Amino acid sequence: MRIPKLLQAVLVLAGVYFGFIVVFDVILDAVIPSSLLVMYMFFVTAGVFMVFTYDEEGTRELVAPIKALVEDPSKRVWRNIVFVIVPLAAGAGTYVQMQPSFEAPLELRTIHPAPPSTAKIYGKRVNLLKLENPFRKLEKEDPEQFRELVEEGAAVYIENCQYCHGDKLDGNGPYAAGLNPTPLNFQDVGTIAQLQESYLFWRIATGGPGLPKEAAPWISSMPVWQNFLKEDEIWKTILFLYDYTGHSPRSWGHE
Amino acid sequence: MRQFLTVVVFTLLTIGFFAGYSNFGIPQIEPAPPPKEEKLDLGSMTMDGFIALGERLFNGKGTCTLCHNALGRAPELATVGEVAAGRLKDPRYEGEAGTVEEYLTESLIDPSAFVVIGFGKKGTNDTESPMPNVASGGIGMSVAEVAAVVAYLQDSSGAEVTVEIPQDIGAQEDDGEEDESEPREAIGDPKELMALFTCDACHMIGGEGGEVGPDLTQIGASRDRDYLRRAILDPNADIAEGFEEDMMPEDMGEAMYVAELEILLDYLAGLK
Amino acid sequence: MNGPRPILKTGLALTILGLGLAVVALVLTGFGQFSAFAAEHAGAAGEAAAAGLYGPAPKLTAADYPAIAGVNGRIVVWIVAQLHLWFAAFVLAVPIFVFIIEVIGMRTRDKRYDDMAYEFIKVSITAYSLTAVLGGFLVFALILFYPHLFTYLSTIFSESMFYYALLFFAESAALYIYYYGWHWLQGGFKKWVHLTLGLVLNAVGTTLMLLANAWLTFMMSPAGVDAAGVFGGDAWAAIHNFLWNPINIHRFVANIAYGGSIVGAYAAFKFLTATGRQERAHYDWMGYNANFIAICALLPLPFAGYYLAAEIYAYSQQMGITLMGGIFAWLFIIQAVLIGTLFLSANYYLWCGMGRSDGAKRYTKYIKYIAIVLVGAFLVWFTPHTLVLTNEELKALGGPHHKILGPLGIMPAKNTAVNVMIIFTAISFMFYRRANKIATVPWVKAGNAIQVALYTAGIANIVFLGIYHGYFTNTVYKVAASIPQVLTTLVVIAGSITLDSFIYRGSKEVGSLQWGRIPERAQYALFLLAVAFTWLMGLMGYIRSGIRQHWHVVDIMRDASPDAFTPTLGYAANVVSVAAIIFMAMVIFVFWIAQVSSNKTLPAGYWKE
Repeated sequence: MRIPKLLQAVLVLAGVYFGFIVVFDVILDAVIPSSLLVMYMFFVTAGVFMVFTYDEEGTRELVAPIKALVEDPSKRVWRNIVFVIVPLAAGAGTYVQMQPSFEAPLELRTIHPAPPSTAKIYGKRVNLLKLENPFRKLEKEDPEQFRELVEEGAAVYIENCQYCHGDKLDGNGPYAAGLNPTPLNFQDVGTIAQLQESYLFWRIATGGPGLPKEAAPWISSMPVWQNFLKEDEIWKTILFLYDYTGHSPRSWGHE
Repeated sequence: MRQFLTVVVFTLLTIGFFAGYSNFGIPQIEPAPPPKEEKLDLGSMTMDGFIALGERLFNGKGTCTLCHNALGRAPELATVGEVAAGRLKDPRYEGEAGTVEEYLTESLIDPSAFVVIGFGKKGTNDTESPMPNVASGGIGMSVAEVAAVVAYLQDSSGAEVTVEIPQDIGAQEDDGEEDESEPREAIGDPKELMALFTCDACHMIGGEGGEVGPDLTQIGASRDRDYLRRAILDPNADIAEGFEEDMMPEDMGEAMYVAELEILLDYLAGLK
Repeated sequence: MNGPRPILKTGLALTILGLGLAVVALVLTGFGQFSAFAAEHAGAAGEAAAAGLYGPAPKLTAADYPAIAGVNGRIVVWIVAQLHLWFAAFVLAVPIFVFIIEVIGMRTRDKRYDDMAYEFIKVSITAYSLTAVLGGFLVFALILFYPHLFTYLSTIFSESMFYYALLFFAESAALYIYYYGWHWLQGGFKKWVHLTLGLVLNAVGTTLMLLANAWLTFMMSPAGVDAAGVFGGDAWAAIHNFLWNPINIHRFVANIAYGGSIVGAYAAFKFLTATGRQERAHYDWMGYNANFIAICALLPLPFAGYYLAAEIYAYSQQMGITLMGGIFAWLFIIQAVLIGTLFLSANYYLWCGMGRSDGAKRYTKYIKYIAIVLVGAFLVWFTPHTLVLTNEELKALGGPHHKILGPLGIMPAKNTAVNVMIIFTAISFMFYRRANKIATVPWVKAGNAIQVALYTAGIANIVFLGIYHGYFTNTVYKVAASIPQVLTTLVVIAGSITLDSFIYRGSKEVGSLQWGRIPERAQYALFLLAVAFTWLMGLMGYIRSGIRQHWHVVDIMRDASPDAFTPTLGYAANVVSVAAIIFMAMVIFVFWIAQVSSNKTLPAGYWKE
């Protein structure tokens, strides 16, 4: 049996809509933003309309059921049902949209902006492009001492960081649920694995208030750790972050 | 007529959709307001403050970071303090600077004096820099502002800061292009003098001027030269009734030549 | 009687031809005169500056901007300038394709072309006077609201403004003789005279546009003045400033596309209100031709735009970054939506138009695939770089970066998408052309195979260039890849048209084309094209002017008025929308007045018998 055109159109639209959601949200595990999905669907609808109506027969077939619903006396019951449901649905939609919610208003915010080339940390101006972890070289030169440093870094982490970033470093510590933006998940390949150690040093030392202008508004609650930790403690913690997650920091060499 | 109305409605709906999308479909970002021309108070500035001013200028008014950033549109300035010394000896260097400070200043005013290989304008074989003169119209930095940026560059690249904070910016014009080291020529016309020291901002003469200080229209009738001299050199010594202390600048004595003071006194004493 | 009349006519025709040529010569030497003037004055320039003939650009304060009648001066100037520009674009474009259509009619000796050309120019006549009226209004608005700016510009462009005013006489004369003499100057030699007049009309019109462009590009990329704005006396240098030619090219192409779309809307309206079959057929045909003109000019337009943007970048990196980054980054998302609308509605019109031919059935099955690709490419094209995310989504994504959509937000993806859209529009058009034809050459199969191979290779190359250079090389190559992409597109389109012309040499027709057999919806596609084009031009006018930021003349003359701020996109969109509605109302008036002249009322018993 041939599927009527109107149903075809509806099926195509629903298919595309759920296709987007399934592909992005489930298969790729990267949610499609609702604002974008609305615009996508608007133009997909326009495209479907174009394909179904460029000739007269197609249009007539597409419109026929709607016309029949409105004009055909034998469809009176259906007509009444639809004429009740449609305004109700529109009203419900408006109600849901206008209902005050607890969600904070949308903000365009770059959480991890490009770092400045230099920053003032511990009273010195450091060049973030050249800065290296002073302990990193020990990884090869003196593995034993390196392990010790990692242990010390772990202690610092457990004492200070795990409340938010979690004892598994997965950004899911006891306080994580209360924070927005959420604490970073260091296990994710998209976070510290993509960054240089100097970037981590900069973010840890200067915290939320040290974010540059493009990251406004500065709602990150990351503390300014240079006020609480010693410089080598931060470097050791960074060693621990990479060691525990098994990632390696992005290197200086050009790929 | 029905067709006509349909077309009109269709047109309005289309325009409405475009306008609606532009208003609600995308985030509304408020563009930065036009920059204000900042007045500098260098007299009370410490070196740290001066460097911070340079940093503000570097990131703000100077628009330097548009290109001097991690994207590599222009040379990295993180080590410019060290590199500059080498530049001076480079055979391609065409400028006249002898020290790092002079080199940096020159690079801001005359960017083509030395072009780092690979950063020249296309087709000029690195002889011409795409960077504008920061003192010219577009960016319009004053001499003091350029000095602040140089100080910041020296500090941020870990080099020794040799820049001295320029003094005597009190009478700075908007463009600040005067050479501050040269003494001003004495002025013989009392009205010009009053204009230079903007006396009329606070004092009224003949119905024109401010009301912060006493009206001077007939000041000669009630005050003698000695009183007036003291009032200019030490404004808080006597305060006329109904006026407040500490309103008049105390450095008139430094700013004025002796001859000018006398000319001014003659003029004021003659206002009867 | 028969004797002297032809001679008289020939004499008249010759006189007109002579006049026309004189005007052409005047126009062509106009620039020569400027150069000569410039050369003459270049030597004197130094002296002029030294003698203080020209002062520096004035430094203004808020008090220098008169408040008049409580209206916002900037919005008045903005709307009036935009209205003037829309009409001017239309009025300049129409004679260009009227001239071309007239030539086609002359070559093919098909009178329908001549009639259509006449109808086009008839529509533009009223628009012409509206252009002039709005131009006058604009000058008044500038003098009233921005007196110092106008004074400064008019000291620099004194000669060109004077010539501009003079050229308007030439333009009017040429236009009126061209239009009113249309039915008189017919046949043989007189047709040549008429064509020459059309050429003169276009030459003068284009010159007028070039002059006006010089004034506005001077405000963006001032030349011929020093850093303080002191004019050196070289008028040609000020005219021939850095962005003059890029704007000239972009406007010239865009005007034609715009003119086509407006005439298309006219035809669509006449089609909808037509009563007889023949009238419908005529306006269907006219709409098709107008749409064809609009699409032909639309296809190269993105490239002209890229060239302009690249030149802006080359002129000033700061201006370039202002253009492509910050708040204006979102403007290009709106622009993407609008251009996507243009492409979709143009394609839709073509598909609808396939119903005119009985042979189209063979190709309609491909339409859905074209639609899928077009919509897909369009979605890529307007995916923004910075996504608007709710807090839930932010949490789910773990940050604002989207690993799938992020890479679609940058230039390589968008370049690829727009090239694919252009190629598929070309395919739509190829199907349309083939719809009514049956090839008779023996190598049809091979020919079609080559066509398929050509398109496949072209698209593969574009996608490869986009993906490889866009995502696997560093920044420098990302931008560079757009040039081979554009070349591929052009080669594929040109190759395909050439190949088709060989395949369909001596082809049979399926049946005669049924002009007028097109759904009314297709006419709305033409309206959409016109409205979207109008609105898009307004929006791009805002950004062209907006990248000057708080400058009247960039880096030279600062805007100190309270309105010096750059408006938000929503604010600008509202102003543009209001202006567009006013424009549409005026256009409807123009269309209406064009048909009023053919209405005749015969009142009974009114006149003495």
